[in-house]
Order: sequence, then structure tokens, then C-alpha cells
Amino acid sequence: MSAVPVLETRGLGRRFGGLQAVSDVSFSVPAGQVLGVIGPNGAGKSTFINLVTGHTKPSEGRVLIDGKDLTGARPWVIAQAGVARTFQIVKPFRGMSVRENVAVGILYGSNGTNVMSKALKAAEEVLEEVGMAGLGDRPPGELSVADARRLEFAKALALRPRLLLLDEVMAGLRHTEIEPSLELIRKLKARGITIIVVEHVMKAILAVSDQVLVLHQGKVLTSGDPRDVLSDPRVIEAYLGHRYVKRREGES
Amino acid sequence: MSTLTKMPQQGLISTLRGDRAKRLGPWALGLVALLAALGLQGQLYSGQERTVATIFMFVALAQAWNLIGGFAGYASFGQVVFFGVGGYFTAVAMSHWHFSFWMSLLLSGFVAALFAVIIGIPLLRLKGHYFAIATLGVAEGMREVVTNLTDLTGGGAGITVPTVGNNATTAYLGNDGFYLLFLGLAVLSVIVGGLVARNKFGYALRAINQDEDAAAALGINTTRMKVLTFALSGFITGLVGASYAFQQVTIFPERLFDVDITVLMIIMVVIGGSGTVLGPLLGAVALQFLSEFLRQNFTNLHTFILGAIIIVAVVLLPQGAVNYMREARRTKEFSLLANVRKYRL
Repeated sequence: MSAVPVLETRGLGRRFGGLQAVSDVSFSVPAGQVLGVIGPNGAGKSTFINLVTGHTKPSEGRVLIDGKDLTGARPWVIAQAGVARTFQIVKPFRGMSVRENVAVGILYGSNGTNVMSKALKAAEEVLEEVGMAGLGDRPPGELSVADARRLEFAKALALRPRLLLLDEVMAGLRHTEIEPSLELIRKLKARGITIIVVEHVMKAILAVSDQVLVLHQGKVLTSGDPRDVLSDPRVIEAYLGHRYVKRREGES
Repeated sequence: MSTLTKMPQQGLISTLRGDRAKRLGPWALGLVALLAALGLQGQLYSGQERTVATIFMFVALAQAWNLIGGFAGYASFGQVVFFGVGGYFTAVAMSHWHFSFWMSLLLSGFVAALFAVIIGIPLLRLKGHYFAIATLGVAEGMREVVTNLTDLTGGGAGITVPTVGNNATTAYLGNDGFYLLFLGLAVLSVIVGGLVARNKFGYALRAINQDEDAAAALGINTTRMKVLTFALSGFITGLVGASYAFQQVTIFPERLFDVDITVLMIIMVVIGGSGTVLGPLLGAVALQFLSEFLRQNFTNLHTFILGAIIIVAVVLLPQGAVNYMREARRTKEFSLLANVRKYRL
């Protein structure tokens, strides 16, 4: 009957000294779905991604990928299990061309190659896919903000992931630049890749998510259908404060 | 539409073809340099032969440092420890255990590599200055350990490798022999550097150098890569130390663990261009040649002038000569002042 979810977390939490950055996050993402994760600044969204991808070790709880317990596994183990991520602050490898940046992911991914020329060729295909054809020879330092974010995307795709975690890939982009990213997410979804989108751009979350998870002060505030979640008074309060909600209630 | 999608592919194929020339060119050039070095030997008198052998020694040391410090970006300030460990292993093995030099040489490489693994596992968790200081501490500490193991190492009085009489396990190689030995080590180190630079391994090291989190997120086992690189770097440095010990016959802890040797490796790599193969090669040859030239022509002022030249080079070319030339050729911006401005913090 129901298939094993691509990602499942059980009571996931992380403390930094006295700060409980994430606590008791339990949910699962079925294969092929797009999950939007939202929450105000400091809600624990990035920590959550770090916990899933092994960049931060959980203080408590479990992370299951394809039903396999990978709690606390090192990042490269997670990456080779088919989980790719982007970073909120772009992390290009300077001193390599854009094409070589992507080739690194192909060389070390789960079905990687040892042949440089093959990797470079495959990298070119990934670049075309994300709309960066012709930029392969550039050093990453010369890219525009939008292209630098697209490069993050391309590096993650180079792993040929089954689960993709996007940490604010649309932050700082103009409206016209957001549309191609959304298009790309839809295309990847159609190909069967499960995607978790962490984003501040609500329009983007609404446009692509099948489910939305709201984090607030490290805890799951609510989750479910995107439209229901975004009209939930608790979510509005988390973002805009309780006085705003009260005023609106008074008006209606 | 179809022409549009084909264009980038054609571009790629021509880049790949260009890559083949780029791939084989340096090896051909290296072969020519090797033949030149072999031909040169007959033209030198013995003092010059020793000087050139020292240049080769520093080429190998600089290439070895470049693996961990240049490619991976872990500036080892205690690199001389592998030189010392290799040198002392060979001296002890030849004089106490009567090993042949060749056997001792090979084992010295492995002992130095093993030492690199043992100190690398904890130390490679540190970054930047912390790693530099920790490695420096290990090297200084090892010098004290070796000085105090008097029974084995002779302590501060030094240890002498038997080169004559019944105790000599391998005949002394002489100037001709050491010239070839150090040339061989230089060639080995350049080949290792060349292979690392162009292969999967080198891309992982450059990725680690730039951003370890991003490298790990792409499936690179950063811990394993760093330890392996440190071991490889230690292996080559250990071989050089072993050869140096045999050449010197009598060795002392102060010389074999001399921090100046580490500093020279670093300067050579930085001036030549770290993270490249040509850089450490050029840096070692240029600095060693310049140093010798100045010593012969300006006996009293030679270190002063050498120091001044190093300062000017580091200020004007912070990324090293080879990297500067590459960038300048790409951007057509040759001004040194613009270069300084580009690298200011």
C-alpha cells in the first residue's frame, strides 16, 4: 500500500547551548511531492535543512531517508544517498569555471564517474537544464546574483538527486527572475524528484508546493494544504505579530 | 531552434579538443626539462652539481607542500616534521639496523606518511591559523623528542650514517648519485602534482579549499581526502628528508627539524603560485637560484637583498606568478597595481 516516504523525521531537534533551534519536528514527504517550508527569520528553517543533510548533528530525534535511518550521518553519505541541497549563502568554488563547479558534483555523486571529460560534458547538460548554457567557461565570481543562485541549483542537480532541498534559491531575485526558477522546480517535479523548498517568497511557495510546513521558534506550527496554511491566523500571527491579528479580527 | 541548441555543444567539443593539447603539452615540456637537467649534469663541476641538486630537493619539497597547502588550502607550518622523521628514520635504520639506503628510503616515505595520518586525523579538523600553529607545534615538539631519544638518535650530538667500512650498507652516492637522486624526487613530485591537478582528486581538493561544506554536500568525503593528501605530502617530504640525511652523512635535530625549511617551502609555493604545478617548480628554482647567485655576488648583503625581493614579490603578486599570468592573460589586465588592488582585503 503506501510507499515509504522519501524523507521522514521523527522528533527531530537541535540545541545550540541554551537555544533550542529546532525541536520535535516530525513529518514525512511522500515521493514526488513538493514541500514548502516557511517561517519567520530564526524559525529554524536552515537548521532543519542542516539536520537533514548532515551538516549539523541532531541533539534528538531521527532522520529516515527512503526508510533508512541516516541520523547523524556525514554530509557526503547523505549526498551519495541521493539527497542534494543548495546553500542560502551561495558557495561557488572560486578558481574553477562554472562548468567545473558542476562537474565536481557529477564526479562525486552516487552514480559518479572518474572520467573528467565525461563529467564536463554532463555538467554542460545540467547547465543547459537550468538555463545557463554558454556560461560554462566563466569564473563564478563574474555571475549575476540570479546566475550565482542558478549555479547552486545546478551543482545540486549534478548529483542526480531523488530528494532536493532548496534553501532560499529565490532570495534577492526580481519577479521576472523568479518565474524560470519556478518553471524549473515544476519540471524537476514532473521528473519524479521530491523537493523541499525553503522560501520567504510566498508567491513562489503557493505556486509550487503540494504541502506547506510552517516552522515557528523551532517547532512545527502547522502543516497542510498551502492555501489553508497561509490563511491560518496562527501563521499570520507568527509573521506579523498578534496585534495585527487582533486588529483584523476587530475589523471583521 | 535546432541550430541554437547545437551551438553550445559544438563549443564544448572544440574545448575538449583544445583540452587534449593542453593536457599533453605540459608533459612534453616536462620531458624536455628532464632531458635538459640530465644533459646539464655533464657540464657542471662538483660544487655546482651540489647546488643544482639542492634546487631539485626544494622543487620536490615545494611540490609536496603545495598538495596540502596549495590545492587543499591547509597551510602546514610544520611540514619540516616529515622531512625530519624521514631523515631520522633512514639514519637510524642504516646505522642501528643495517638496512640498505634504498630500503630505508622507501620505508621513510611510509613512516612519514603514517605520521601524517596520525597527526592529520586530529589536526585537519582545525582550519586556517589554528591548523598552521598546531602543525608548527608538532614539528617543534618532534625536534625535542628526537633530541631526547639519545640512545636511538644520538640526541643533540647528531647521528652519523655509516658510509665507509664494514658497517656501510650502501656505498655513498657521491655528487653524481645525489644529483640523480634529487632529480628523480623532483620528477616524482612534479608527476604527482600534475596527476592531482588534472584528476578527480584535484577537483575535490580545490573544492575543499574553497568551501568544505559545499564540497561535502556534493558527496566528497572531506575528512578522507584531507588525510590522504596530508599523507601523500608527508610521503614525498619523508623521501626527500631521507635522501638529505644520507647526503649529509651526519645529521642534527636542529637542522632536520629547522623551521626555516618549512618557511622556504611556503615562500617558494606562494611566490610561484599555490595550487598550480608550475608555480612551486618555478618558485623553487627561482628562489634557490637567486639565493645562490646573491650569495656568490653579494656575500654580506645576500640575505638582505633576497628578503627585499621576496617582500616585493609577495606584495605585487599575492596570488603568485603563475596565477597572475593566467588571470592577466584572460582579462588582458597586466597592471601590477591593479593586481594589488584586486587582492586587498
